[in-house]
Amino acid sequence: MTKGSVRFENVTKDYGAVVALKPLNLDIAPGTLVTLLGPSGCGKTTTLRLVAGLEPPSSGRILIGGADVTHLSATYRRVSMVFQSYALFPHMTVVQNVAYGLTVKRMNKTEARQRAEEGLVLVGLEGFADRLPSELSGGQQQRVAVARAIVLEPEVLLLDEPLSNLDAKLRRHVREEIRQIQQRLNLTAIYVTHDQEEAMAVSDRIIVMKNAEIAQEGSPEDLYDNPNSAFIADFIGDANLLPVDVTRVGETTEVRLGTLNLSVTAGFGRIGAAQLVLRPHQIAISREHAEGRISAEVAYAAYLGNQIQYTLTTEFGEIFAIAPPTTHPIGKGEAVHLSFEPAAARLVEV
Amino acid sequence: MKKTYAISALALAAGLAGTAAMADTLNVVCSNEQAWCDLMAQNFEIDTGIDVAVVRKSTGETLAQIRAEAGNPKVDVWWGGTGDPHLIAASEGLTTPSGVDVSGQLGWSQAMTEMSGGKAVGVHVGLLGVIYNTEILSEKGLDAPACWRDLAKPEYKGEIQVANPNSSGTAYTELATLVQLFGEDEGFKLLAEIGANVNQYTKSGSAPGKATARGENTIGIGFMHDMVNLKKQGFPVEIVAPCEGTGYEVGAVSIINGTPNMEAAQKWVEYVISAPAQSAGLEVGVYNIPSNPDAATDPAAPDMAAVKLIDYDFKTYGASDTRARLLERWTAEVKDAGGLVEE
Amino acid sequence: MRPTALFWLSAGLIGWALLPWYMTDSGFWSFGWLAGLVGENRPGAAWAVTGRPWLTLPALGLMGAGIGLAFTRRQLATARALTGSGAAGLGLLVGEAMLVGTRYGPVAGENPSLGAGALVTAAALLFLATTGISGLGKGRGDAFVTGLVGAIIALVGMFVFYPLSFILIRAFELKGGAGFGVSEFFPRFFSSSVWGIGCMSGQGHCGPAINSLMLGLATATGTTFMGLMFALIFTRTEFPAKKLLRVLTILPIITPPFVIGLALILLFGRAGTITEFLAWAIDIPKTRWLYGFQGVWLAQMLSFTPIAFLVLIGVVEGVSPSMEEASQTLDANRWQTFRYVSFPLMRPGLANAFLLGFIESIADFGNPLVLGGNFNVLSTEIYFAIVGTIADPAKAAILSITLLAFTFSAFLAQRFWVGNKNYATVTGKADSGRHAALNSVLRWTAYLVALPWAAFTMVLYALIIFGSFVKLWGYDHSFTLEHYIRGFKVVIRKGVHFTGAAWDSYFTTLTISAIAAPMTAAVGIATAYLLVRQKFTGKNAFEFSTMLSFAIPGTVIGVAYIMAFNFPPIELTGTGLILIIVFVFRNMPVGVRGGIAAMSQLDASLDEASITLGANSATTLRRVILPLMGPAILAALTYSFVRAITSVSAVVFLVSARHNMATSFIVGRVENGEYGIAIAYASVLIVTMLAVILAMQLVIGRRTLRRADRVETH
Repeated sequence: MTKGSVRFENVTKDYGAVVALKPLNLDIAPGTLVTLLGPSGCGKTTTLRLVAGLEPPSSGRILIGGADVTHLSATYRRVSMVFQSYALFPHMTVVQNVAYGLTVKRMNKTEARQRAEEGLVLVGLEGFADRLPSELSGGQQQRVAVARAIVLEPEVLLLDEPLSNLDAKLRRHVREEIRQIQQRLNLTAIYVTHDQEEAMAVSDRIIVMKNAEIAQEGSPEDLYDNPNSAFIADFIGDANLLPVDVTRVGETTEVRLGTLNLSVTAGFGRIGAAQLVLRPHQIAISREHAEGRISAEVAYAAYLGNQIQYTLTTEFGEIFAIAPPTTHPIGKGEAVHLSFEPAAARLVEV
Repeated sequence: MKKTYAISALALAAGLAGTAAMADTLNVVCSNEQAWCDLMAQNFEIDTGIDVAVVRKSTGETLAQIRAEAGNPKVDVWWGGTGDPHLIAASEGLTTPSGVDVSGQLGWSQAMTEMSGGKAVGVHVGLLGVIYNTEILSEKGLDAPACWRDLAKPEYKGEIQVANPNSSGTAYTELATLVQLFGEDEGFKLLAEIGANVNQYTKSGSAPGKATARGENTIGIGFMHDMVNLKKQGFPVEIVAPCEGTGYEVGAVSIINGTPNMEAAQKWVEYVISAPAQSAGLEVGVYNIPSNPDAATDPAAPDMAAVKLIDYDFKTYGASDTRARLLERWTAEVKDAGGLVEE
Repeated sequence: MRPTALFWLSAGLIGWALLPWYMTDSGFWSFGWLAGLVGENRPGAAWAVTGRPWLTLPALGLMGAGIGLAFTRRQLATARALTGSGAAGLGLLVGEAMLVGTRYGPVAGENPSLGAGALVTAAALLFLATTGISGLGKGRGDAFVTGLVGAIIALVGMFVFYPLSFILIRAFELKGGAGFGVSEFFPRFFSSSVWGIGCMSGQGHCGPAINSLMLGLATATGTTFMGLMFALIFTRTEFPAKKLLRVLTILPIITPPFVIGLALILLFGRAGTITEFLAWAIDIPKTRWLYGFQGVWLAQMLSFTPIAFLVLIGVVEGVSPSMEEASQTLDANRWQTFRYVSFPLMRPGLANAFLLGFIESIADFGNPLVLGGNFNVLSTEIYFAIVGTIADPAKAAILSITLLAFTFSAFLAQRFWVGNKNYATVTGKADSGRHAALNSVLRWTAYLVALPWAAFTMVLYALIIFGSFVKLWGYDHSFTLEHYIRGFKVVIRKGVHFTGAAWDSYFTTLTISAIAAPMTAAVGIATAYLLVRQKFTGKNAFEFSTMLSFAIPGTVIGVAYIMAFNFPPIELTGTGLILIIVFVFRNMPVGVRGGIAAMSQLDASLDEASITLGANSATTLRRVILPLMGPAILAALTYSFVRAITSVSAVVFLVSARHNMATSFIVGRVENGEYGIAIAYASVLIVTMLAVILAMQLVIGRRTLRRADRVETH
């Protein structure tokens, strides 16, 4: 096994009667950034705290870098964590915060300070060393927290919703920085978030969790293109879910949507009720009617400069679609007809 | 980690400091006034060369302590305070006969020594008396009391203060005195009548005198030597020896049973009944009557010859069962019967 | 785990085989015992082979641990071996010490009081067991945490439960030494002389239990309210003379007992200055209204408001400004912000302040004694049950149990009110906001309540100082230095000689208090840390047991300590150490309460951040938690120092000729009516304590969480 890998073997966690984690098996490869994504209460933060050693598992084994750390206290795990609340020590200056982990490991003061300053350079905060955390902006504080975690050169870096306290613009900026640092230092990182866009943007691999277990894992593209459930389809990127009946499976799959018979390339295991997944940009909107098109009416259209967002009413419910701006925008109340490429649609269980 | 060891080691080291027993000196508990305790200890050290450590505690506290320490006492001698607790300690075997010659002492001192089987040697006498505040009395236009019976007069309603005999030896002496003077039934009747005038039963025996001196109260009952001290301090008070006669307490000195310093303890007993040692009391305002006939006294101090004294029966009224019976009766017939008038 | 266990194993072996097992005649650090190491001061190992075979028993535990360390490789197996042998060894040591050759002992044999060797061996066995327990995965696998829990349980057991059992068992004593039983306990416990409610209907008197309860509730309510007003003025207004106010709020706690009572009598007594003035000016009749509930309440308000203040100031300061700002941006006005945001966030502090006020009030002894009049409370009744004309330890024990029942109920009520809500407001997310100012009604209420009170306190203290410089307070007001000279005379002739009467007790008091204060704070804060930050079974019982000693009247503790520590196996009476111990364990609850309040405001992610950064619990405590708890530590230190100097009821029985305390000296003078020197001494103590407190404040200072503590301007 190599340095930086993380492995869970049938790990469970419960607090009395409350099950926080059903038996979980995980394998995280060294040098990758893996995101634990899911709605709140899905067990993602519990998983992170188990890796950190802040909670003991109820059963199962946890291995970091191939070594069994199940009973090792957090102090001795080579794991650093960035907290949602930043958890900067308010009584220490920025550089003292960053050097903290080094000094508790008995590094001499000058060296620790030097390393801490290097860490600050890495996150772009040179010159802020002697300020108190309270004198920094939220984004700066978050970067201090990151610097504090990475100067220790941990085997695994844990990030618990690190951006949730930042504004949208800053969020994008900081997440890019985190990703760059992770790649530059070739760190293994586990990143917890409930924001799918953030997850898509930074991850090598995403593990989507739901109800204390894994719902699906894979690369961002995998999850987006091949959701294995309506939940994933809906959670990863926007998706329109249309109720269909699968009438034939084989080379192509035939489905019936209301009165329409459509043919899609996505496979499906059986005949019967299913849901058709359509991404908003995969829907073509036309004023003209043609065979196999879905009739709709524009309920709402929003011009966003680079695109137009449409909310469309159909007999199957509302459909959300986006289209590039045109010179003849379709107005509210107009009747339209929708179509999609057979290769684009996916089928998932109801 | 190293720091944790260091802290543990430090804590242990501090603990180790407590693993030694005490050094050998004479340990005296003194139930007299602090200044008198200090002066006596100082003189004793100078005159005998014996190292002595003295601490002041009230008689009740001392008795509770030597009871708890029985069998392995940390105190060698108990000096001063009223005689009753000394007699109780003697009867419970907490003290031991000193074997000191008391033949040169006044009669009551010898009687005390004899009664306790040589365990408690009488060192001073305190006479029971009445104190009143002259300013308040004239302000209110009241007559000065002269006798115990006067205290029952209705015009003194809310003006009298006396200690609770359940907590104070002084008050018990007063209770026993009235019972001996008037007989038990008549005595309790008088106590109840006086009780109707009492504004507060204090916990401490000397509190009524002090409250009277400060003008918080008009008439108080207590020991006359305390009152003399107050008067000498300049308070507007007068002291009365009740016309029917009054009781008294005999203060004592006892050696604690099981003391490892018996010899030095005996020296202390011999010393505190000697004339020069007792005479020194005047320097610090001790106005009780010393047991040594040759000791000097102050002219303002109470004089046993000038006061009508009852023949106080320490044997009967010091006994635990009499005490318990009288106190129970007092609680039922006097305390719960009324009085406690808050003006 | 292994290195820690090896450390304690070797410590245990040294304790058993090299140090004198029993108490030595001279101090350990004088090393006089080295001479007797083959004689009376033999170590346990030597005694074991020379006629005291039971001393082999503790070594069995060490042996077991050694075998466990040598022959097991798997962590869990080693941990089990350590836990088992440590606990067994400790049990054998305690059993041997209690049962062989002592007053409880069914087994005959010579077994004097334990000394250095036994102490070190017992500690080693205890920590071997706790290290083992940490290896089993308890306390997050942290030997420091389990060791701390073990140490505190052992200390509380030894210095609270063990002595108290001696006195509480007497509650079940049958009359005439007929053994023990409950047949007399219940009738006496529920007796109407204890629980009478005659005063409610205006007929006669209430029992001391009812009186204590009413007084406790009134005092706790009053002091919490007053403390909150002062705390608000400090943190939420721009009141100009905050420094002066701070000193005034501290003064009453550093005042030796009886002094406040005396000053009140001189002001409000029947012959008091104000009473006389009112009688002269508007013809209000002079009465003795002060003696009773009102007077005691007033004195307790003066004495205990500062405690509430000290608890509340940390809490009020700790409420995060951004929460208040958030509220204001949500269009709440200042009153609504206070009512719905700040006030609820202060709840743990208020509950703690109330609990402390209640317990202090019902355990208070000095004020009811001086001002109680005919108003009897439990604490004075207990005192006189022990030292009165008829000593009745059973009654004292029963009343103590009543008092404990009140404390326990208050504790539960506080639990219920605060609940398990999370009140963390100092989070790792730095905060640069400003505290919301108070709305004007609240501000003026605070001013109108607190400032006259402060003025009143000031008058009282001016009077006390005045009293120490006049011949006879109340009568002869000519200036004199006589009282100071008698107490604190210094002769400089061939060196410096402290000849004043007070010097001895003054030095003893300062030394003992200075030793006891940091120990109290340490034990208190460590306990608070465990209670707030660690999870372990039996936490509630653990928390209550640390509160126990505070709730029991000092008199009871004093007698209990004599009963427990005057005989083998532990003999401490007559030493200075017993005073230190009694202060540490009596005052530790204050440290615990303050620590809990302050610590529950620190977000747990700060600890977790520190731990994931590679610090262990001990380092985290030292470098993150303690620095953030400045005010709480200061409060604990200050308060335990001051309590040690000013406490009287517990020490009365424990002071000895060699180790006399200032309060017992002062009480002696007060009893003798020598108010002058008593007050002069009290003034010197007050000044001393004030100097010490200010020095501590300078050293420890305030938390620098925000560069400047700003209050929004009006």
